[in-house]
Amino acid sequence: MAPTYNIAMVSDFFYPQPGGVESHIYQLSTKLMDRGHKVIIITHAYEGRTGVRYLTNGLKVYHVPFLVIFRSATFPTVFSFFPIFRNIVLRERIDIVHGHASLSNFCHEAILHARTMGLRTVFTDHSLFGFADAASILTNKLLKFTLSDVDHVICVSHTCKENTVLRASLDPLMVSVIPNAVVAENFKPLSPSENPSYPPPARPLGPHDIITIVVISRLFYNKGTDLLTAAIPRILENHPNTRFIIAGSGPKSIDLEQMIEQNVLQDRVEMLGPIRHEEVRDVMVRGHIYLHPSLTEAFGTVIVEAASCGLYVVCTQVGGIPEVLPSHMTVFAKPEEDDLVAATGRAIASMRANKVRTELFHAQVREMYSWENVAVRTERVYNGICGAISEGEFYGYYEGDNANNSWSATRGRSGVQSFALIDRLKRYYGCGIWAGKLFCLCVIVDYLLFLFLELWFPREVIDVCPDWPRKKRNDLSRE
Amino acid sequence: MAPPSGLHQSAIPSDFEKPFPALVRSSTVPASLKSHRADPSHLAPEDAYTPISPPRQPGLFDTGLDTRPRHIRRNDTSRSRSRRRKRFQKLLWVKQSYPDNYTDQATFLENLQRNPRVQPYDFWPLVADSTVILQHVCSVIIFIVCFVGIFQERVSPVSVVGWGSFATFLGWLLWDWWMTQEDQTGAGESGDMTRSMRDGRIYREYRPPRRQDSLPGPSLHQPLPNNISTASISSTSNLPSAASSTTNLLQYNHRPNPTPHQHHDNTSHNSTAPKLLTPGHSHSRSVSSVHSATSQNSANSPTSTRGPNHDSDPDSLPNTRAYLRVSTIKSAILIYFTLLGLSPILKSLTRSTSSDSIWAMSFWLLAINIFFFDYSGGTPSHISGPHKTKKMPVASLSTNAALMASTVLASRLPSTGQVFSLTLFSIEVFGLFPVFRSYARHRSWRYHFLLTVLLVLGAGGGVGIILGEAPATSWPWKRGLAGMVIGCLISAVAIGGCSWWLIGMQKYKNEIYGPWDPARPIIISRRHWDDD
Repeated sequence: MAPTYNIAMVSDFFYPQPGGVESHIYQLSTKLMDRGHKVIIITHAYEGRTGVRYLTNGLKVYHVPFLVIFRSATFPTVFSFFPIFRNIVLRERIDIVHGHASLSNFCHEAILHARTMGLRTVFTDHSLFGFADAASILTNKLLKFTLSDVDHVICVSHTCKENTVLRASLDPLMVSVIPNAVVAENFKPLSPSENPSYPPPARPLGPHDIITIVVISRLFYNKGTDLLTAAIPRILENHPNTRFIIAGSGPKSIDLEQMIEQNVLQDRVEMLGPIRHEEVRDVMVRGHIYLHPSLTEAFGTVIVEAASCGLYVVCTQVGGIPEVLPSHMTVFAKPEEDDLVAATGRAIASMRANKVRTELFHAQVREMYSWENVAVRTERVYNGICGAISEGEFYGYYEGDNANNSWSATRGRSGVQSFALIDRLKRYYGCGIWAGKLFCLCVIVDYLLFLFLELWFPREVIDVCPDWPRKKRNDLSRE
Repeated sequence: MAPPSGLHQSAIPSDFEKPFPALVRSSTVPASLKSHRADPSHLAPEDAYTPISPPRQPGLFDTGLDTRPRHIRRNDTSRSRSRRRKRFQKLLWVKQSYPDNYTDQATFLENLQRNPRVQPYDFWPLVADSTVILQHVCSVIIFIVCFVGIFQERVSPVSVVGWGSFATFLGWLLWDWWMTQEDQTGAGESGDMTRSMRDGRIYREYRPPRRQDSLPGPSLHQPLPNNISTASISSTSNLPSAASSTTNLLQYNHRPNPTPHQHHDNTSHNSTAPKLLTPGHSHSRSVSSVHSATSQNSANSPTSTRGPNHDSDPDSLPNTRAYLRVSTIKSAILIYFTLLGLSPILKSLTRSTSSDSIWAMSFWLLAINIFFFDYSGGTPSHISGPHKTKKMPVASLSTNAALMASTVLASRLPSTGQVFSLTLFSIEVFGLFPVFRSYARHRSWRYHFLLTVLLVLGAGGGVGIILGEAPATSWPWKRGLAGMVIGCLISAVAIGGCSWWLIGMQKYKNEIYGPWDPARPIIISRRHWDDD
């Protein structure tokens, strides 16, 4: 019987704010609870959302009051989160702290404090960063600080793994690739009984039937809205019986509107404005092709959702997108106007020729991506860092490997990160000439703070809260 | 579950049920802590100057196949299924028979590029380019020397401003001569442009009128009026009426200068914009509404300096020139008298502030001027193309800082004449001279070199003279000569040393590019709608 853990998911980003990281945390937590673990979520207080909340399935959310500075990221005060974090961790008897999103200050602080307290830590990276601009350099240094002493890192795609390994100078073996998933039940294609006004997708498309191209994205520069603005008039000019549905809002929406007015395309391009995540499926099933012109994307959940809805996907070949879907569901384009137009043309042609069996997509996507699978794979990471599966099995050693080889500065002799302060300082010291010393200073202060808290608020006086009744792990047979 | 009709054999769920094979330790882990090069995913110092992908040892997991396409597509499914372990694929939708933290030697970081776009520097071109900075630093030093001379009453302010104005006048004559030459050679070209643009009218309609990035004509002098007028607004902002009048005057003063270029521009481009922008000197957004109203008037009314030149053909060029000269002289006289009127106010501007604060403040302002100066030298005609040059958003900050520094320094001076002289001199040095310098640089390399030598000699000599003790009875030519020699030496060492240093530091350059970088979209039919 595999052990079960008490896991704390820590991130700045959680419901009620909508978004990809938020739903990732929620879905993963729910599925881990289904597998018999205890999961709590620690995030900062949102407006109208404070204190402790229980979500469906007994998922407990701590909304910690904290100063929010930018796009719901909290103010980075390296130590001020420690007292309440320690309290929560002791109260809930946490074994593993799992932080999400590299722009979340909560996550970084929690990983630092958790290591000081002697807990296992996991970090999940959801985004890609360059190396050139000043903001990236700062973020990367911060990430290096946090990830110098983390037990394992999870990335959502192989590109993301390469990026994170380079940014934080990690051993690639302690970085796992576990993709996002979709709730396939929420992204079903249209059934004929549901809405008779739209033609069911299974019906062969004639040469004069209208093909609808759907675009759902925030209209920002890095989502490729400029490409979209340039490509739409040319696509509509080349293909008479097509139309666009664009959902989403952002600073670039004014460009799209100007393009529509200038080319008099009001009857062929429909702009829906911002839509809620629940409505995404209803918009998607109105179309035949999903166009995703993004310029950078770690995973691209939305193209999986589109494929799950039975849409043929046209997307730019950037970031982790080429890894996400098989090529019979997608047409790839270079991030160039000409190529995007050509790729969309190819997609329209093969839709008209009925070469694409979009009615099979939903079942295939459901096979590829499911949160249960993500939870199983994440559980293996937890087992590996807690020593439930052997070091050799987790990191890939032979038992008879020579002794020199099985020791490295990043991992202790047991295959898991050593908690000794001197070992931790060794790891932080390598971060840079100045940064290394600064980080060591931070770690020492954090440790002193920990000792102080142990004296001032002893563990004995902190109540242990009763657990929500745990689920029996009933799906072991599925593994 | 229907498998995807034989297209992709890899997504078969049975693959995942195989037990994970026992793994050997990947060689990505440093075998010993001493040699960091053993880890190809981390960067080593020698990677900085070897712009190649990291060397790849043959992976331990290689199944003996040489080619590893990323998307493996084989129709012979039975054969591949019989293989005990399939090759690792960098795909997420495939159920891999590898653990999640498996790192494939062959494909890990295969798209990493290091220093793909690095151009190595050459020594002498680098030295030549750095003379631009030297010129500016020297002109700032000359200004400070003149201030110290006036402040210590070694030099008469009249002689400073007299020589300065004389040099400015000479420069203007030279520039005017160049302009005339250029007009004569460029008259035929502009006619061609007119014709070609008539054909390209459809294209022109796509452009918003205020996009002026790709002016074909030399638009070097156009930013000047904006900068100058902004500066005078900021320096005289305690007097709204005076400010507006100054703006007006300066506007008229410098508006004629660009007109020959606008002649090109107006015939070749439909420049309906009242303000002319160039990417080099970004127009200042702090220009008041008074200013913009003025410039609009001057642009649109037919009686203004610019009006009659709109539709002039090459035959009327001599008339235009003469008209321009007259109006330039007129506006010069106007600016002269305005400054004369403002000098008593400037004199008492910072009377309540201690001198130490003024020295510190002017030091920082001049430092800002040097650091934020637009050394790219405007947009010469042969550089500005359809590709967008990177704008420097703080170019006007430099001029404004310098003029503010000169204003606060002038307010230290005791008499109105001195204040007037220094302010006028600062306008000449910081407002007009950079334009002349950058134009001379694009005109001819010889002029540029000559100017650099003169400036270095002047700055060195001036500093040498100033550093002497009490006002000498005779002209301290010895000190001046020593200063010149030392100045030449210092500048040669500085330029050469800095260039050599920069070249030496190139080996530390380590740019990393990969698929995680945001793609740069290539958009051909770009409509210029974005604001920046």
